Amino acid sequence: MSFYDSILAGLSLVGNVDAFLSLFIGIVVGVIGGAIPGLSATMAVALTLPFTFPMQPINGILLLLGVYKGGIFGGSIPAILIKTPGTPASSATILDGYPLAEKGQAGKALGMALWASCTADVVSNLSLILFAGWLASFALNFGPPEFFALIFFSLTIIAGVSGDSLLRGTLSAVAGLILATVGLDLVYGTNRFTFGDSNLMGGLNFIAVLIGLFAIPEVIAMAWDPTSHLGKARSLGKSWVTFREYKDSFFSIIRGSIIGVILGSIPGIGAAPSAFLSYSEARRTSKNKGNFGKGEIEGVAAAEAGNNGVAGATLIPLLALGVPGDVITAIIIGAFMIHGLQPGPMMFIMNVDIIYGLFIGLIVSSVMLFAVGSVAIRAFRYVADVPKRILMPAVLVLCIYGVFAVNNNIFDVGVMFAMGWLGYVMLRTRIPAAPFLIAFILGPLLEDNFRQSMLMSGGDMAVFVRGPITWAFWSFSLIALFAIYKSVRAPKPS
Amino acid sequence: MDKVLLKGLNRWLGVFTLFFSAFFAFYAIPNWVYSPSNIRNIVLSPTFWPYILSGISALAGFALLITKQPPETDQDTAGSANAELRPYLRLIVMALIMGLTMYLLPRLGMVWTTMLTFVGTAFFFGTRYRIAAIVCAVLIPLILYAFFAQIAGVAIPQGNFVRLP
Repeated sequence: MSFYDSILAGLSLVGNVDAFLSLFIGIVVGVIGGAIPGLSATMAVALTLPFTFPMQPINGILLLLGVYKGGIFGGSIPAILIKTPGTPASSATILDGYPLAEKGQAGKALGMALWASCTADVVSNLSLILFAGWLASFALNFGPPEFFALIFFSLTIIAGVSGDSLLRGTLSAVAGLILATVGLDLVYGTNRFTFGDSNLMGGLNFIAVLIGLFAIPEVIAMAWDPTSHLGKARSLGKSWVTFREYKDSFFSIIRGSIIGVILGSIPGIGAAPSAFLSYSEARRTSKNKGNFGKGEIEGVAAAEAGNNGVAGATLIPLLALGVPGDVITAIIIGAFMIHGLQPGPMMFIMNVDIIYGLFIGLIVSSVMLFAVGSVAIRAFRYVADVPKRILMPAVLVLCIYGVFAVNNNIFDVGVMFAMGWLGYVMLRTRIPAAPFLIAFILGPLLEDNFRQSMLMSGGDMAVFVRGPITWAFWSFSLIALFAIYKSVRAPKPS
Repeated sequence: MDKVLLKGLNRWLGVFTLFFSAFFAFYAIPNWVYSPSNIRNIVLSPTFWPYILSGISALAGFALLITKQPPETDQDTAGSANAELRPYLRLIVMALIMGLTMYLLPRLGMVWTTMLTFVGTAFFFGTRYRIAAIVCAVLIPLILYAFFAQIAGVAIPQGNFVRLP
């Protein structure tokens, strides 16, 4: 199929009101979800997932991508107005966004956040379109040993860059891998940790695990401290971002976008490190470097470009290799599977219409994000006023319906509650949940490819170093493990 | 979070992980993983992968035990000084709400149970908007029922008493 044929196939799939409406609703939900502190883009995507069940696959995935993109931008609104990042990715935005809000220039900061986010989003989407197909065609040469080496590499990165403590991140990933072993054995079909219960034979439901880990701990945390309040939103002020300010920050925005694309395309790094790297690069090279941290508009631009540049790029490993780039794409990979689609190189052959439909949708999403974001900036006051003590019970009820709907099974609701308590314990003991979830997804793939490789080679371990691709991934893994070791050994600043 | 627990958190986690790893390797895998007896290559056995994970978790536990923990920030320990019994009682009540929800789901049906769960949780959290909480408690489960049962075709449990169309 030629490039033009592929575009036409994609257009035929998304060239209708339903697809664009799904995308639009997704962006609105994402911006609201990201803008409510304590809800986060991740939880918004997880809670939206069950609503995609009755939808066409392309519309459901566009809805989730809309939530993802809207959520990342939405997180910047409370970061600037109430110094509380709606998502971890917006942490760097506080550094200059909040001082600007204190000066009565919140409108200017939010306007720049929107412009930078949309610009970075376009750059990120274009990079996805350019590189995903190329990477997928390369990955067609992969067999089980290559996939095993790739997934092992992904796991080292994920375990290594999660949260404040690398060891706790590793512990979290190992726990995810262990939980993924529950169910029937992949080769012999014998029971593993099923305790004779037929509900456990298919393994633990992915949706129940992810909603339990990300949504329920917030409800339980509310029980621990019901008086936690949202803070007082500041007025937007009368000063708005000008085209000249955008032009002056343009180089930082593009650089931040490229940083976002590079870091986003590496599985496991995510948006927050990208935002901080982009911010620090902007501060290092800016002629106003003395003003950074005190309310510099270029700082807001760089941070937002850094975190939004990741949004499209995390889809590169997802679509091309079937490996999630971060925790949100780990949830989106679940949506693909629920709709009978398996992301990876074969999808570029079997479902090329869906791939190009997604590309078209993503390009349109940048424009929609700009429109929705402009309104959201002014409407945040109402979003922030939603009483958390009513919001959290609503989240709990939504979780119950959503998890039940996956398999029509009350057992899954119990799994969700159990995972919720595990997630809460992890929250209290500073163990990050993201490596757990990603390892839970990658675990069966890792084991499956390992055993397939063993079957192929008749038990000869040399199959794992059979060519340059496996060597490359093992080298990357060694570098990642060395970096983990170095960071564990390095003295931490007090 | 209690300051004492936070201070030695890595050590506690390390000890727990080592115990878990030993339990996993010496009790859980031999008893709860079934492996055919005629497997010639050990790496293809259903127990191989769990044993590998047990070993990795032991390594992680050992590393946690010997690694010096970085000092916690003020933010980490904020609010921990006045940690008392009441928050733990609230956690127990939350667990009871969840347990009761599980018990009632197949008996009362999902719609009625979630209405009670909503009201119970909102009042337990001490909402000041009681009327709004009751209105939401009725409307949200009904809207979700309408979506999942009528649009998505999910067989939402109806319970033994009042059945919805």
